[in-house]
Amino acid sequence: MNCHSVQKKLSAYQDKELKPLEQEEVSRHLLSCQSCREHYEKFEQVWQTLGELQEIRPDPWFYSQLSRKIKEPRQKEVLPALQHVFQLLRAPAIASILLAVGIVTGTYLGNILVRYDFFPYRPTQPTYLQEALFDSLKVFNTAPPGTLAYGYLQMVSYKENESR
Amino acid sequence: MIDESISSEDLMARIAKGDDEAFEILVTRHQTSVLNLIYRFLGDRTQAKDLAQEVLLRVWQGAKTYKPEAKFTTWVYRITTNLCLNELKSSRRRGWFPFHRSDEDNVISIEDVSPDGSPSAEDVLLAGERNRQISAALKGLPENQRMALILKRYDDLSYQEIAQILGCSVSAVESLLVRAKRNLQEKLKSFEK
Repeated sequence: MNCHSVQKKLSAYQDKELKPLEQEEVSRHLLSCQSCREHYEKFEQVWQTLGELQEIRPDPWFYSQLSRKIKEPRQKEVLPALQHVFQLLRAPAIASILLAVGIVTGTYLGNILVRYDFFPYRPTQPTYLQEALFDSLKVFNTAPPGTLAYGYLQMVSYKENESR
Repeated sequence: MIDESISSEDLMARIAKGDDEAFEILVTRHQTSVLNLIYRFLGDRTQAKDLAQEVLLRVWQGAKTYKPEAKFTTWVYRITTNLCLNELKSSRRRGWFPFHRSDEDNVISIEDVSPDGSPSAEDVLLAGERNRQISAALKGLPENQRMALILKRYDDLSYQEIAQILGCSVSAVESLLVRAKRNLQEKLKSFEK
C-alpha cells in the first residue's frame, strides 16, 4: 500500500470501517511512514478535541412534561400549524400593506399638487423636459388623459358646447 | 413490572398497545442521547430540550405503525435528524437563528466539569470557552457533514447505520466524514497543543 492510498483510507481506518486485512495493512504502513502517521495524528487530534464537548442532561421533569403533552387533546396541534401558516404569510402581508399605503398616500399627495396647482418652483418658461415632467403629473388628475374617464368627460363637454 | 433489560423494539410493541410504563422506560433510556444529538447539531440548549420532547412525542405517536425492520435507535435518530433539519430550515425562513439562545448554553456547571472535585473558577471559564469554540466549529460544518460526524463521534454508529439515518449510500457517508474531519482540522487549529 502506498502513501496515497493509505491517506485516502485514514478516516475509515480511524472509524474501524475497513476490512480486517486492510485495517492491518494501514496499521503496518503507519508504523513505518512518518508522513502518513502525522496525517493520522491530525485526525486523532480532532477526535480528541470533539470529545471535550460537554454532554447536557435532561431535566428531571422531562418525562412528566412529555406525558402531559401526550394527554393533551390533539386539537391543540392545529394551533401551531396555523401559527406556522401565519408566520409564512406575515412578510408578504406586511409588504402588501406597505405598498398599498404608499400608493394611496402618493396618489393623494399627487392629487393635491395637481388640484391646487401647487408647484412653487415652476419656471416661467419651462423647457421641453420640464413641461413633460409637469404633464406627467396629470396622472394624478381625477380622470387622467388617455383613460376612458377622460374620454367620457371630453365627449360630454363637447356635447354640452354643441347644445349651447 | 417490566424487566429493565427488555429491548427497545419490544418496548415499542408494548407502547403500541398503550403501555405507559414501557414508554417511560424507553424515554429514560433514550432521552439523553436524543437530547445531546440535537444539542450538538443545533448548539442551542433550549431548542434541544423542546425538540427532544417533540422527537419522543413522535415515537409515541408512531408506535402503532412502527415495524422493527431496523434498529430502534436508527429509527429514532432518523426522526431526530429530520426534525433538526426542518428546524434549521424554518429558523432560516424566520430569518434568525437562534433568537432565544440562552446564556446558559456555554456555561459549564461545576458538576459538568468534575462531578467529584471542585474546579477553580478559571477552569470552569476555560471549559466553557473550549465548549463554545468546539460547538462553533461544529456549527460551521455543512448540515450533512455535521450530522454524520456527530453520529460517528458521539454515538459510535457504523457507516451503514449513518447511511440509513441520512438516507444516503455508505460511500457517501465515508466521503462526508472525510470532508468533515478535514474541515474541522482547519477550524480547530487553535486547539493544537
